[in-house]
Amino acid sequence: MNTNIKRISFMLAAVVLFGLGACEAPDQEVFSGFTPEDIENSDNPAVLAVLKATAYSTIVGSWGGHNSIWSLHEVASDEMVITHKGADWEDGGQWIRVHQHNYGPTEQSIGNGWAYLYTAIGEINLLIQQYPNVEALVAEMKVLRALVYLWLIDAYGNVPIITESDTDPTPPTVPRADVFTFIESSVVDNLSLLPESSVNTTLNQTSARMILAKLYLNAEVYTGTARWADAETQIDAIMNSGVYSLTANFFDNFSAENEGSSENILTLPYDEDNAGGFNLAQMTGHYLTQETFNLQEQPWNGYATLEDFYNSYENNDNRKLGFLVGPQFSSAGARLEDISAEDSDPDGEPLTFTPEINELRPNSLRQAGARVGKFEFESGAQQSLNNDYPIFRYGDVLLMKAEVQLRNGNAAGALTFVNQVRQRAGADPLTVLDLDILLAERGREMFAEGWRRSDLIRFNRYNDAWWEKPASPATANIFPIPQGQIDVNADLVQNPGY
Amino acid sequence: MKKFLLILLVMSVGFQGALLAQTKTVTGTVTGGDDGLGIPRANVTVKGTTRGTPTDLDGNYSIDVAADETLVFSFIGYTTQEILVGNQTVINVVLQPEVGVLDEVVVVGYGSQEKKEITSAVASIKPEDFNKGNISNPTQLLQGKVAGLSITRPGGNPNGGFSIRLRGISTFGANTEPLIVLDGVPGASLDAVDPNDIVSIDILKDASAAAIYGARGSSGVILLTTTKSGSATTNISVNSFASISDIANTIDVLSPEEFVARGGTDFGSRTNWVDEMTQLGASFANNISASGSIGNTNYSASVNYRNTDGIVSGTNNERLNTRLNLGHNAINDRLRLNLSLANTNSNFEAISDEAFRYALIYNPTAPVFDDLNTPNDGGFFQRNLFDFFNPVALQRQQRFGGTNENTLLTFRADFDITDALTISAQYSQNRNSSLRGNYFSRQDPATGFGQQGLASRQNDDFLSEVYFTTLNYTTELTDGLNMTALLGFERQNRRAEGFFAQSRQFLFDSNRWNNLRAGALVRIGDVFSYFNEDVLNGVFGRLNLNYENTYFLNATLRADSFSGFGADEKTGYFPSVSAGAELTEIADLGPVSSLKLRVSWGVTGVLPPSNELALPVFGNGNVVNTPGFGERVALPQVRNANRFLRWEEKTEFDIGVDYSIWDGKITGTMDYYTKDVSGLIFSVPVPVGAPNAFDPGTFNTTGNTFINLADFSSGGFEFLVSVNDVKLGPVSWTPSFNFTIYDKPVIESLSDGDLGFEFLRFATPGSPGQNNNPIIENRVGQTLGNFYGPRFLGVDENNEYVLSADINSPDDFEVLGNGLPDGDFGFANMFILDNWSLNVFVRGSFGHELYNSYRGFYENRDAGSNTWNSVVTDKTPNIVSTPTFSDLYIEDASFIRLDNLELGYNFKTSLDWLTNLRAYFAAQNLFTITNYTGIDPEVRYRDTENQDGFTSNLSPGIERRGTYFLTATYTLGVSFNIK
Repeated sequence: MNTNIKRISFMLAAVVLFGLGACEAPDQEVFSGFTPEDIENSDNPAVLAVLKATAYSTIVGSWGGHNSIWSLHEVASDEMVITHKGADWEDGGQWIRVHQHNYGPTEQSIGNGWAYLYTAIGEINLLIQQYPNVEALVAEMKVLRALVYLWLIDAYGNVPIITESDTDPTPPTVPRADVFTFIESSVVDNLSLLPESSVNTTLNQTSARMILAKLYLNAEVYTGTARWADAETQIDAIMNSGVYSLTANFFDNFSAENEGSSENILTLPYDEDNAGGFNLAQMTGHYLTQETFNLQEQPWNGYATLEDFYNSYENNDNRKLGFLVGPQFSSAGARLEDISAEDSDPDGEPLTFTPEINELRPNSLRQAGARVGKFEFESGAQQSLNNDYPIFRYGDVLLMKAEVQLRNGNAAGALTFVNQVRQRAGADPLTVLDLDILLAERGREMFAEGWRRSDLIRFNRYNDAWWEKPASPATANIFPIPQGQIDVNADLVQNPGY
Repeated sequence: MKKFLLILLVMSVGFQGALLAQTKTVTGTVTGGDDGLGIPRANVTVKGTTRGTPTDLDGNYSIDVAADETLVFSFIGYTTQEILVGNQTVINVVLQPEVGVLDEVVVVGYGSQEKKEITSAVASIKPEDFNKGNISNPTQLLQGKVAGLSITRPGGNPNGGFSIRLRGISTFGANTEPLIVLDGVPGASLDAVDPNDIVSIDILKDASAAAIYGARGSSGVILLTTTKSGSATTNISVNSFASISDIANTIDVLSPEEFVARGGTDFGSRTNWVDEMTQLGASFANNISASGSIGNTNYSASVNYRNTDGIVSGTNNERLNTRLNLGHNAINDRLRLNLSLANTNSNFEAISDEAFRYALIYNPTAPVFDDLNTPNDGGFFQRNLFDFFNPVALQRQQRFGGTNENTLLTFRADFDITDALTISAQYSQNRNSSLRGNYFSRQDPATGFGQQGLASRQNDDFLSEVYFTTLNYTTELTDGLNMTALLGFERQNRRAEGFFAQSRQFLFDSNRWNNLRAGALVRIGDVFSYFNEDVLNGVFGRLNLNYENTYFLNATLRADSFSGFGADEKTGYFPSVSAGAELTEIADLGPVSSLKLRVSWGVTGVLPPSNELALPVFGNGNVVNTPGFGERVALPQVRNANRFLRWEEKTEFDIGVDYSIWDGKITGTMDYYTKDVSGLIFSVPVPVGAPNAFDPGTFNTTGNTFINLADFSSGGFEFLVSVNDVKLGPVSWTPSFNFTIYDKPVIESLSDGDLGFEFLRFATPGSPGQNNNPIIENRVGQTLGNFYGPRFLGVDENNEYVLSADINSPDDFEVLGNGLPDGDFGFANMFILDNWSLNVFVRGSFGHELYNSYRGFYENRDAGSNTWNSVVTDKTPNIVSTPTFSDLYIEDASFIRLDNLELGYNFKTSLDWLTNLRAYFAAQNLFTITNYTGIDPEVRYRDTENQDGFTSNLSPGIERRGTYFLTATYTLGVSFNIK
């Protein structure tokens, strides 16, 4: 009996000991990935450098892909269109609505654009919060945040301002004019702390001035009060720095290896292997364009140029070479044949991109429309391209200078800057200049660089009718706040007209 | 591991020496007094102890007892017999049928219980009820047999997995399928067991029964028990069969002539693409098992080999499963040691799902080969058009294959400290290792010629270790009131790790994925590895009370702590209570020989889909250039943490009746249940960039956070009736019919804290043109997974659609149907005439709709119809519009299917070493009656094109275009036993 009790006690004790272990709430470890503590406790100086580069890489992100904020800017402008080719590119009618300025709060691209920009805001704020005492870093991140807000104020107008010290999980809408002030002070307060370097993949004092110049240039649109003189001050500072100049060849700024361009002030450094997301060859090429450039994947036959826009170039303007148009050939020089060309296609099977587009929907011809060829498509290119995407470029600075002069009544002065740009393109110099002519010139120079919508609004032409697009109301000048965001943040206020 | 085995060995040897001299082995056979056949799985127990053994498939048993002990023989539907052992060594028992007392033993969590004491909804299925034929997955044995258990595999893919739903859906995430408990090992993989080795399957249907598994029990529990030997003689059983599969259904398309007449591009040839891709699928399987005992050690070993070719060449599954169960009894049977080792090795070959779509809609006038084309194409006909790839080329140029190895090791020891108190401990290790390869040929235009071949290799290893110990105490509290109490502790560790690499730009195709170094290009993201681990600790107890075999009470409580929840939310409590009364013990109910009324209530939980959701994690971004430190991988915050993430909770109420009439002539059960699930974890949109409400002090850097979002409720009614041995002249007929009526889940809430939604929409039909309009809406107050969209009102004079709403105005849409069934039913029939047996099994589902994607894309004479072939069904209207979603493509998919038919003949042999010689012919999926015009009307619980576990479970009812053609299978087999 005694042994029995001992035996039982022993076994019960063993069970209870194990049982105590079983009552403990276990910790969760992370083995593939890093916790904030891992980062905080690291003494590797590379960590800070990587986090900073990470903030930049979020804005490289999806800028140059389909269904992005870039898509929205381009298709809503008079530069580009995505037509329906039967069911192909129907895509819920989004691109027709964007083209005709009927966009609503549920458009994917409007949600994607917002997410892209606010993801960057989140990353930047995290970084500032992690390293509040690294002065140069904080300054640079605040200016980077201001750049993101420049895109936000332009696209969405009234948006929440979120800084590193905010804790409200549903940040409220802030009027556009206040966003303007926030951007302005963010840059002005931190500009002197930025490097003076000419590196074009991170911010420096010149790109900070470009943010201010763009902000002031559009001040009337954003706040109702023009700030032309302030814009000119920043433009002059950039021009007087003497660091930047027009490249001899316009297309050097858009080549696959455009890193060394003397003209690009700030670029998004895409890389086919390491930093993907710029997919223009896929987006604009016809299926057979694969054989022209030996592309790794079949293009999608989407983005084309509006005929009127294409025709705005004179024939001796080198920039007109920035389109894929006319008969198309394989890389070996053979004429490409689209064997399923529509019976109604006057060009038949031989693949020919016509500037004319027969209709917007439902049966736009597959070969219709001049394609975007401004950026070099390397032979054998992957879906993601190597070309760095210029955000700020000196050619734009010259045209901005021309604009402020023209708006100040100095057309003659403005012409000299416009003609610098035209001369580089081999186009005949202009002799007269008004706002419409300048807008057209900006179009020709800045095609496919994401500024056209903003320019049209500033020149009061965005609401005009153009091909297959009726006149649109002024409320279309800012995009709606994405419905998906309003659904999760009751403090967001929808923009007027939506 | 090695050390563990060594300890085990030493222990086994040690205990052998400790054997007490006065015990002896008694063997014998338990037969039924009605038919004289051996009764499998009858219970042989030593009176007054917890020791016992089940009989084998032939009714044989072997048990160690002392001469002064009494053996109790029992089986459901038969009177129990008690026999004092005395000096006998062989005790053969004939049990007389007498139903009225249900005393079958049912496996429940961490133990077993007599069926009469069960007070929750539990179903037990024995081998004689299993589905027959070419069965490759253990759950297939049960398909249609258990009310409330839905097992589906749409299409005929030999590598396709089964969707298992018990009482519908109980969670959205990764754990929608019931917990598998294999020989007591919770969370074991179904790959670890071959269907041939299973001797019983018990299904814990309600939360009360499953609550002992606490955090893992919400989707129900399926307990599988494999062969254990109880026989003194060696018994070898063999089962071999060969099968042929053929296309049972696909969807019709225009003939080449019709296609050309309709305006299709004529390439001059006439090709039947489905014929080009398909073959008769041949399969065979061999199963050999041996069992017996040597002294106090009993064993059961089996080898199972199967090889299944799909009906599409290039699809194959080959599997070798071995199992060894060893049992050893010592110290006068007070100590029982069990070791079980199972290993499954399988290989698979697969092709792209897209080949199935192109086989139907590729231009029927195109030839397979085209010598004139560029050599790039490998001689196949190809044209550089949007969405236009030669299906035969695709079938041959995109190859997927791999191996999977699953090992389950279990060691268990039970020790009777006293006759009333037993301590048990079990350790198990389930290891799954898969290695797969993908190769896209240099000549495969679908991935792009430019890639010049793309090869990848992926290795995923998973390890689950479970250790539990229990104390079981049985006593008679007062006269007639018996109590059993269980106390247990458990620890589960899971580890997942893997490696992936791929490269491109190959010179040759011949090496496929076996020489990645031959590819010139490796991009960022082409190589990655991962590791994660989680821990679950559990404490649990159970109390059973039985008063005079008349009143029963059962209560359990479990506390589980899981590492992957928020710091203050790790522990969850899962109680249950159930009670029952055997009414025939209270009053004479005439012909009713047993009528048990039972009521139960319980709470269960579910593990989250990933264990790191509560933590913010910084992960890998692009490669970035950093001044001074060169190229580095960017470090974005890739997850918004939810530090408040907590348990999902399912509360289920069940009321049921088990009945038996005319001494077991008619038996059955009925159950009605309701369940409420709250706090379902779901990944939802959050204000991106804003401060994270669920991890104060950080910011949302992605658009989604996992939160305890949703509540829903559902219910159902289940019915089962079986009639034993109806005499139809010389033929004995045993029908069994079950059905379930579901009260489909209704969403009660989609909110947590301040974050809430009125609806969530998912699942677009896809490209071309229909990738922006979700067709499923989950709205608060409505049924889960409703189709919504415009209604089709007719056609106008130009043969264009007239729809009730613009496809781009979702606010004007209507609810168009639902993919979840109103009910399922199964009707099993066994006919016996002399040595012949015939099993006919019909099953079906009703009240569910399916979106027929083929019709939704390829029915209209639209602009694309000169490029792609069109499908033709008896529902095809004459429409020229661009395909647009509407209820035109939502079809009633109710069906009745002759699912399983088996004709067998038992040979009488004069050889005493050869028994149970049987030959059989089985046919699966012989025909289906349905109005559905797509490939397979089977219920789709998940959306196969959506790999996100959440939205995929919330998007039922979509038949996607990549569905594998439906197959019918014919099997010829033979089985016998050798003694």
